[in-house]
Amino acid sequence: MGVIKKIVNWGRIKSPWVLHFNTGACNACDIEIIASLTPRYDLERFGVVLKGTPRHADILLCSGPVTRQMEERLKKIYAQMAEPKFVVAVGTCSCSGGVFKGCYNVKEGIDKVIPVSAYIPGCPASPKAIIDGVVKLLHSLEEEGSK
Amino acid sequence: MKKVEALRDELVKNFSFLDGKIGIPRPRRVFVEVGQDKFEEVFVWAKDKQDFSHLCTITGLDENDRLILIYHLAHDSGVLLNIRTSVPKSDPRIKSIIKYFPGAEIYERELEDLFGAKVEGLPEGNRYPLTDEWPKDEHPLLKDWKPKSA
Amino acid sequence: MHDPKNKFRIPMGPQHPALKEPEGFSVALKGEKILGVEIRLGYNHRGIEKACEQRSYVQDVYLIERICGICSHTHSTCFVQAVEEIAGLIVPERAQYIRTIIGELERIHSHLLWLGVAGHEIGFDTLLMYSWRDREIVMDILAQVTGNRVNYGMNTIGGVRRDISKDQAADVLKAMDLLEERTKYYIEIATQETTIIKRLKGVGVLSHEDALRLDAVGPTGRASGVRRDVRADDPYAAYGKLNFDVITSNHNDVYGRTLVRVKELMESYKMIRQALKDIPDGPITVKAPRNIPAGEALSRYEAPRGEDVHYVLANGTDKPERVKVRAPTLANVQAVKHMLRDRFLADMPIVIAAIDPCFSCTDRMVSLNEEDHSHLLRWDELRAYSIKWHRDNMSIDFSGLNKKLMDRIK
Repeated sequence: MGVIKKIVNWGRIKSPWVLHFNTGACNACDIEIIASLTPRYDLERFGVVLKGTPRHADILLCSGPVTRQMEERLKKIYAQMAEPKFVVAVGTCSCSGGVFKGCYNVKEGIDKVIPVSAYIPGCPASPKAIIDGVVKLLHSLEEEGSK
Repeated sequence: MKKVEALRDELVKNFSFLDGKIGIPRPRRVFVEVGQDKFEEVFVWAKDKQDFSHLCTITGLDENDRLILIYHLAHDSGVLLNIRTSVPKSDPRIKSIIKYFPGAEIYERELEDLFGAKVEGLPEGNRYPLTDEWPKDEHPLLKDWKPKSA
Repeated sequence: MHDPKNKFRIPMGPQHPALKEPEGFSVALKGEKILGVEIRLGYNHRGIEKACEQRSYVQDVYLIERICGICSHTHSTCFVQAVEEIAGLIVPERAQYIRTIIGELERIHSHLLWLGVAGHEIGFDTLLMYSWRDREIVMDILAQVTGNRVNYGMNTIGGVRRDISKDQAADVLKAMDLLEERTKYYIEIATQETTIIKRLKGVGVLSHEDALRLDAVGPTGRASGVRRDVRADDPYAAYGKLNFDVITSNHNDVYGRTLVRVKELMESYKMIRQALKDIPDGPITVKAPRNIPAGEALSRYEAPRGEDVHYVLANGTDKPERVKVRAPTLANVQAVKHMLRDRFLADMPIVIAAIDPCFSCTDRMVSLNEEDHSHLLRWDELRAYSIKWHRDNMSIDFSGLNKKLMDRIK
C-alpha cells in the first residue's frame, strides 16, 4: 500500500466518522447505537465520531430490515459516501430480516440493497456487541492497511 | 360512570332496529352491528348525545364478499362502543367521518390502502402507509392477496 | 427580537433531481413562518398485521413486541390481554402485578430517553448524556429481571414467563430511590432554569379545545388539560388496585409536555413501590389453549406516548383472523400539524420531538417549499438551523447549562 493510502487509512482507523441510518426498524437497535455513544459505553473513546452527513462518513451504521419506503433513500445515502466506505448491519433485522422475514413491505436485510462489511446480530444488538463489531471492523481495516 | 347495560337500553330506545344486535362481552365493552344506511345516525348520536368523544381507531376486516368496518369509540369513563358496519367489496364506498373526528383521516387512508375502501370526502393528501409506487389496485390486507416474490 | 425582513440562510442539503427522495416532512413556508406541514408516514410499515394472520398466537407475541423497541412491553401486553379476553382466561394476580411493574419500568426508560432526545433537539446536549446515564439504571434492572435490555419477552398468553425474586425486588426498590433523587433534579431544572423555560414556553401551543377536537392522546393531550389516561379510565393489569395521580398541565405547550413527563416519572416510582409491596404470591401463568375460540376483543394500554389500541378477531384456530394495532403516535398526527401552523420554522424540531414520535425523525428529509422554489434538508440541518435561530433571535444559548450539567456528571 502506498504511503498516502497508509496515512489516509491510519486516519480512518484512528477516527472513523460514522453515519447512523434507520431503514424502518423498530428503534430498539437505534437506541442501543446511541446508548453506545453515551458515557457508560463510550464508543467515542475509539475515536468514533457521529456525523450527520453521508459525505463525511466512513462507516454507515444501519438498522432495520429495509422497508420499501427506505430502499431508495438507503441507496442514495450509500452513493453519496466517498470510497472507501463500509457498511455495518446492526441487529438481526438488518442482517436477515429477523422477525420480519416474509413480511410484504420489507427487503429482508441491508445486503439485499447495498454491500455489507460487517454483521452485528442481536434483537436488539446490545451496545457491547455494537462496540465489539465496530472494533473488529477497525482491526480488519488495520490489517488491510498493513498489507 | 357509564353503565354498559344503560347504554344498551338507550341504544334500543332510540334505534329499535338495534334490538338483538348489541353484545356486552365484559364490563366497559359494547359491540353493536348496524347497516350502512343507519350508521351515521347512530355514530353521531353516540358522539353528541352520549359523549363518546374519543375515536380510538377504525378496523377493517375482510369477510368473504363484504368489507367490514368497526369504529371504536371511547367514553371518558372507559366504556368502549364498537360500531360494526359493512359495505360490499364490489362497491366499497364509505363516507369520511373527518368532520366529526379530524384525526380519522389517517385511519381512513389506511382503509383505502390496505383494503381498497373508497372514502368519500377525504381531502388531497399522501397515501398511508404504502409507497407511491405501490400499485393502486393491490390491497395487502385482503385475504386473497399474496405477496409476489421479490 | 428578530427582523422578519432579514434574509435567513438555510443550509442547503444535497439535491439530486434524478433520484426522487421521499421526504418525511413537507413544509409550506412564507419567510420564516410555517403555513402548513404535511407529514409522510409509513417509513416503518413492515406488514406486521398481515404477518400476524399467518403465524400462531404465540409467534405473534414475539412479532408484536417488535412493533416498537421503546414500547415493546406495551404492545405485547396489549395483544395478550385481547387474546386472553377472547379465550376467557383468568390471568393470575401475581402475573398482573409483574406486567404492571415491567410496564412502569418501561415508562421510566422511555421518558428518560425522551428527555435526552428533547435536550438534543434544542442544543442542550449534556441533558442527553445525563438522562441516558440515569436511564442505564433502569436498563440494568430490566436486564436483571427480564433477561434483556429491550424486548423483554416477559409475556405469554395466560401470564408472564418469569417471576421476580425477592432479591430482584430489593434491587428494583434501590433503583427507584436513586432515580427519584435524580428526577428531582430534572424537575428543578425544568421549573427554575430560565433558558429552558424561555425555550419551551409558548412553543407548540395546543389549546384545551383543540386537544379535545383533534383527539390528542398521552402526555401531549394531558399537557393541554385533557385528563385521559387508560390506566385510570379503563384499568388493565393491576392498575385498578394502585393509587396514582393522572398528571396534567394547563400550559398547553412543549413546556407542559416536559413537566407532565418528569412528574409522571415520580408517579411511576410510587407505583412500582406499591406494586412490589402488594404483589400477592401465587402462580404466574395459566395454561392457554392452542386454538383460541371464535370471538373478538378490543384491548387498550397506556403506552409512554399515549393510548395504544389492539383489536383481535379469533376464528377458533391457532392463528388469529385479524390483528389491528393503532399505536399512539398515529393519534397525535393531526394535533402536531395544527401546532406547527403559523409558527416559526425554528420551532419545528422540538414541537415534533415533544409528541415523542414513534418514528425516527432523524432519517426524514424535510422539504421546505416557498412559492417559487424548494430546498431539501436533512433533519440534522433543520436542527442546527433551529438552534442557531434561537441563539441569534431569542438569545437562547445552552452552553452555560451544558457546562453546568457536565460538571455535575463529573
